[in-house]
Amino acid sequence: MRSTVLIVDDHPSFRATARMLLELEGYEVVGEAPDGETAFTLVDELRPDVVLLDVNLPGLDGFQVASRLSAKDRGPAVVLVSSRQASDYGPLVGTSGARGFIAKADLSRAALEEVLAA
Amino acid sequence: MTGLRPALLGIGLLGVLLAVCAVGVQLTSEEGTTADAVLVAGIMASYIGTGLLAWSRRPHNLVGPLLCATGFTYMLNTLCVSDVAWVFTLGSVTGSIFFIVFAQLVLTFPTGRPADRLELRAIQAGYVLALGVPLLFALVSPELEGMSIAETPGNLLLIADIPWLASAIDVAGSLSGVAIIVLIAALMLRRWRAATATARRLLTPILLCGGILIVLLAAVLLADLVVDDGSTAYRALNLAALIPFLLLPFVFLFGLLRSRWARATAVGDLVERVAGRQALRAAIADALSDPTVELAYWLEAEQRFVGEDGRSVLLPSPDDPERAAAPVRHGDVLVGAIVHERTLDEERELVTAAAGAAALAMENGRLEAELRARVADLEESRARIVTAGLAERRRLERDLHDGAQQRLVALSLQLSLARAAAAKDPARAQELLDGAQAELEQALAELRELARGIHPAILTDRGLPAAIDALAARSPTPVEVEGVPAERLPAPVEAAAYFVVSEALANLAKHARAQTARVRVDRVNGHAVVQVADDGRGGADPAGHGLQGLADRLEALDGHLEVVSPEGEGTTIRAEIPCASS
Repeated sequence: MRSTVLIVDDHPSFRATARMLLELEGYEVVGEAPDGETAFTLVDELRPDVVLLDVNLPGLDGFQVASRLSAKDRGPAVVLVSSRQASDYGPLVGTSGARGFIAKADLSRAALEEVLAA
Repeated sequence: MTGLRPALLGIGLLGVLLAVCAVGVQLTSEEGTTADAVLVAGIMASYIGTGLLAWSRRPHNLVGPLLCATGFTYMLNTLCVSDVAWVFTLGSVTGSIFFIVFAQLVLTFPTGRPADRLELRAIQAGYVLALGVPLLFALVSPELEGMSIAETPGNLLLIADIPWLASAIDVAGSLSGVAIIVLIAALMLRRWRAATATARRLLTPILLCGGILIVLLAAVLLADLVVDDGSTAYRALNLAALIPFLLLPFVFLFGLLRSRWARATAVGDLVERVAGRQALRAAIADALSDPTVELAYWLEAEQRFVGEDGRSVLLPSPDDPERAAAPVRHGDVLVGAIVHERTLDEERELVTAAAGAAALAMENGRLEAELRARVADLEESRARIVTAGLAERRRLERDLHDGAQQRLVALSLQLSLARAAAAKDPARAQELLDGAQAELEQALAELRELARGIHPAILTDRGLPAAIDALAARSPTPVEVEGVPAERLPAPVEAAAYFVVSEALANLAKHARAQTARVRVDRVNGHAVVQVADDGRGGADPAGHGLQGLADRLEALDGHLEVVSPEGEGTTIRAEIPCASS
């Protein structure tokens, strides 16, 4: 069965490109959310396997959203993405509860699988 | 104050008239003596004379009226020697009032007003006793003032002769009199203890004389209970009480004169010390005996006072109970103010003299204060520039992140997609590459805009005329560039001038609703003068974010920004930037 993905990012252009790329590479993108609050609703509704979560979001930031999603019972695997580097955020990625981090420009099936396998 | 002089003249004439009457009473009555006549005339003259002097110099101060009232009411006291029944009765009943007027004068010096309810109540009780006890006594005793019936011309108020009641009233009256005197003495002591060093200087001689007199009068009242009123001892005691009583108006006069004398010496010292370049504030504080003195310097150009440290100060308001300010003028020019304790208002002449002596030194100090004020302003504007710089860097980071960086991310992903599609679906790959190219062009345009905001390349490469033409060309409102000097100016000046025009045109596009705008740059007296005027709706706020930032940027170059923007009449922004002579 194909893995299901929810994309959370406030830039529509990134959501569109990421959806194209992930679908091309064999994922099923079940939804998109522009912010944390919408993401919580859609996670409960759609039960995705993976949440691709942007760090810079309006309102709650990606780290806060990641903490709440990871605390859920049988919650999704959260993967943080950003146009910045993971090192820009220091220890925050490690303590957020997310499974890992991918720079947006490096997004690919291989990168995603590597993070999820870790 | 025009009505005051005739009124005082009238009071003076009344005083002379009543003094003549009092002297007449003394000389024509059996009891009176020439010495008593001289004494009453002397006391009335000294109290009413000094009272009128004080009244005319301090029309709002009650000391003058109280001094006069003491003189007039003392006259009542001397009437009881009269052989005429009604004069005698009047004198006997009202003869003690002068003492309470006098006690009020001493207690409330130097304002003449009670400081609180307790003082007010004590004074009121004093008046009730001073008038009430003799009145009650007169109703039930034919003898008045301790004189036997044979000695008096007759008590007109007598209703019934009740000796036991009369002596009860006498004793009760004397005891309550002593109680009031003790209370007033305690209140005087309380005033003295609460006074500042400056106020004590003024209070001590008055309270000392008043205190002695109050002790003596208490003794007179007590003696009244134990010795015969007509005895030599009683008369001696009574006379002894009159000496400090006579003295007080002279102490008051001395106080006024001493103020002049103090002015001569203290201000003389002040001039020497100021000439000796000692700390001006300390010298003035010494001369006024007020260690809390502060100096405020007037900056004419900025219409504000600054302290010695160059920071803005507000002068105390005229109704401030603690502090007051005296202006310091050099010729006709206001140079500053001496801020001092409110109590020094009582020695206004001294303060004025100190202000006069300090004027030249303060004029010099003002230059220094002006420099300090400029340093303080620069420190503030530097802090604002640093803050604005940080905010600008955050904005740049944000713009880069949300703009070009997102587009480049998308570009990278689109290229990945195109590569994946290339072999299987060339048409799809073509589509993706077209999208990628559009994304790249957008990213380039955004980067160019951003770079121009940081520093416009055209300004560095082609100078101010080309850069301002470019700004005018990009403006959505038609802009006429009336003239820009062709020669190159120092780079910081060119940059400042460019951003004045850029910010002004940006504001204009956003807020002004203008039809046209005019821009010109001139070189005037070593300054670049930049002017941007529009025909819009006006009402621009010089303290707004962009304009304040510009003003700070100009201030760092010793420049100056002026915004004239009356509602409905367009906006003119004018900047003057000194061009370094190098």
